[in-house]
Amino acid sequence: MPKPNLREATSTYEPLLPIEKKLIGWSLGTGLALLVVLLVINRLVPLG
Amino acid sequence: MSEATLPVQAAAPPRLSEDLVAVGLGLAVFVLALLSLAGADALGWLVTTSVWTDPSAALAPISKAYASLGGAGALLVTYLILTAVLSAGAYLLGDEVRRFALAFTAVFAIAYASWFVGSWAYLAAVTPADQAKFGVAWSLKLTNEGGYIVALLAGLVIANAFPTFAERLRSAVRPELYIKVAIVILGAFIAVTMASKLTLASSLMLRGVAAIIEAYLIYWPVVYLIARKGFGFSREWAAPLASGVSICGVAAAIATGGAIRARPQVPILVSSLVVVFAVIEVLVLPFIAQTFMSHEPLVAAAWMGLAVKTDGAALAAGGITQSLIQAKAAAEGIVYQPGWMLTVTATVKVFIDVFIGVWAFILAYIWTNHINPQAGAQKAQFGEIWERFPKFILGFVATFLITLALALWTNAGSSGQLTAAIGEANGLRVIFFVLTFFSIGVMSNFRQLWQEGFAKLAAVYLVSLFGFVVWVGFVISWLFFAGVKPPLAS
Repeated sequence: MPKPNLREATSTYEPLLPIEKKLIGWSLGTGLALLVVLLVINRLVPLG
Repeated sequence: MSEATLPVQAAAPPRLSEDLVAVGLGLAVFVLALLSLAGADALGWLVTTSVWTDPSAALAPISKAYASLGGAGALLVTYLILTAVLSAGAYLLGDEVRRFALAFTAVFAIAYASWFVGSWAYLAAVTPADQAKFGVAWSLKLTNEGGYIVALLAGLVIANAFPTFAERLRSAVRPELYIKVAIVILGAFIAVTMASKLTLASSLMLRGVAAIIEAYLIYWPVVYLIARKGFGFSREWAAPLASGVSICGVAAAIATGGAIRARPQVPILVSSLVVVFAVIEVLVLPFIAQTFMSHEPLVAAAWMGLAVKTDGAALAAGGITQSLIQAKAAAEGIVYQPGWMLTVTATVKVFIDVFIGVWAFILAYIWTNHINPQAGAQKAQFGEIWERFPKFILGFVATFLITLALALWTNAGSSGQLTAAIGEANGLRVIFFVLTFFSIGVMSNFRQLWQEGFAKLAAVYLVSLFGFVVWVGFVISWLFFAGVKPPLAS
């Protein structure tokens, strides 16, 4: 197995696969939705 | 490849993992501390340093029962016991004991000397009353925890100006081991702190969940997208990099590298960068927090846990932020109960750490089934979740729960005996923090990284960290913690 170096990290273009787009989209969507839910809980159950 | 930032090369295969060694050492300290509840002061020999102008009066044993040792005697005993115990740990990690003990002697000497210098009144005295007491006309007001910064700077000087010496210290430069031991001990300290105000404590736990969501579901996909689309990184590099920037630095980068079946050197190179940027964050963010957030201490503390990568650096930044903000508040006549800011930083960080295994499994499933499916190659297994779970967290949970139970349901808790016992263990936790700071500095050879072509990888890190992670972390910390103050000291 070839030893990795930093120049090869960007030497070949790898387009974003549909599964990567799905991973990014679902993560962000779920994360933002859950943050909103937690913010609502945060307002209902104040710290202290 | 950056030799100066690689993990220690073991002389033999490890007999135990670093996590288990850390749990063993942390629990041993915890048990010794608890012995004092039965009348045996087993940690009282530990050396402590007070703020000083007369160096000969600065050191003392932590317990008056050991006063006969004197400061120098306590320092010597602390050094000998730590060397013996950590050498046993090094043996279990497969290292050569003599090599470790020699290197640790230098590491301990320089790290503790840094702590000592940091307690000099000109650096540490906080309030005008303190300055009058020590007879100093000015002070940097860093508190004695400014010693962490001195240790970090000492490590950086050695790494960058004396690389040969840094190489000789390598065997004992183990920031991950030191911080894991400290975190196990910290569990007990946090429990004692939380027991005094359980409602606030349980609310903080709930807010820890927001940190998990932020790290894994907001930071990670954005940083991955920036690395892939903005900078053209391949998947093998982009995934560990996203984990390094988003989750908890070194451990996350390595877990992700394993999960996506990257070549082992890839996450190690990424980790090198994580450490360097963590150093920059530790040196910059606590002072920004003190300047702009001194009236929102818990926002600042949560921000450190979310923005600073690697456990050691995050807790270090939390500790420094706590000291700086407490100092500023004290100068205004507000005295917060100590420990709450560090508790928030640690809670945020530990909550994030817990899910590394789950996230690594999700990535492993996607990579082995969809991105890089290979005939005959091993698919992701559920066992990987446990395999990649940071086991030292179990030590933290154990010391936390046992101490909380003792604090709530025994006389030792109500009489203050428990607080005193855990206070002694906490003294040792401080020493492990100092060792962590110094070690992080020694691992950060900026010049070598630059020569090896880190510029583009650093650019992604810089853009992601300071253009996104740090500020989103601030906004979310603000949303969840604004207006909440630590309890005031009675």
